Amino acid sequence: MATVRASLSLNSADVLTSALALTTVANLTCDSGALIRAKVKATDHDTTALRIYAASQCNERAYLYVKNLDVELEQYVYVYNDTDSDGLVAKIGGGEFAFIPVAVDKAYVVYATKVDTMVEYGVFGNDNSTVPFTGVGAS
Amino acid sequence: MATTTATLTLSSADLTGDALALSTTATLTKAGGLTGLDQTTGVSRKFFASATTAHNLVAAADYTAPKAHKVYIRNTSTTAGEYISVEIGSSNVSLGRLYAGDWAFLPWQGDSDIDIDTSDVNMTVEFMVISEA
Repeated sequence: MATVRASLSLNSADVLTSALALTTVANLTCDSGALIRAKVKATDHDTTALRIYAASQCNERAYLYVKNLDVELEQYVYVYNDTDSDGLVAKIGGGEFAFIPVAVDKAYVVYATKVDTMVEYGVFGNDNSTVPFTGVGAS
Repeated sequence: MATTTATLTLSSADLTGDALALSTTATLTKAGGLTGLDQTTGVSRKFFASATTAHNLVAAADYTAPKAHKVYIRNTSTTAGEYISVEIGSSNVSLGRLYAGDWAFLPWQGDSDIDIDTSDVNMTVEFMVISEA
């Protein structure tokens, strides 16, 4: 097993009268994971959406990092639970990121406001050998 | 206008042959502009004496939508098997589980509730919403 150290720091001198300086660290026990950069073709959650996590790709627990690499804030990337209905999980603006757990038995895809929006993403978890990681591919 | 930054660092010396060392920072701005998010719940903690299902942690009714709010949630438990399940929307779409010490950070439009389930008694959830009117 490997360990992925995931740290989040939230800082602000002026969002509250008392300075915000929160840092939290989680050490995630994982046996698989990768960082990928890809272009998002789809502008809706259809068959051209970019699959970033296959249902049951991991066992028990997994974590998803997604960053929208577009430089324009209003060029959004949408993370969508493709197994359930009404499955919008997050709307990520250009330059922003999300780090979330995934429901391991659900499939996740991304689509974007603009064709060919670049994203960086990674899934870290315990691999399920019966559902191989497929990398970039349509839903 | 306030300025708030979020920095994510992912590192691992042993996940692959090439060490993972990712660090990325985002300045948290209002939807469609460069003005910083200026409202927040502050860092809050909620204690759950008993296992809970579909507790409304963040209510959409309290926020304007669709906006560029940000949500941080952490399971403060130190018992490995204790988890909270995070769910979004009226149909409670599962976002996954946060086990002991795990956290999540995500943008949130403010148009759907964020609910949680807690797996065990005596669990504490830490959370914060950074938002705009």
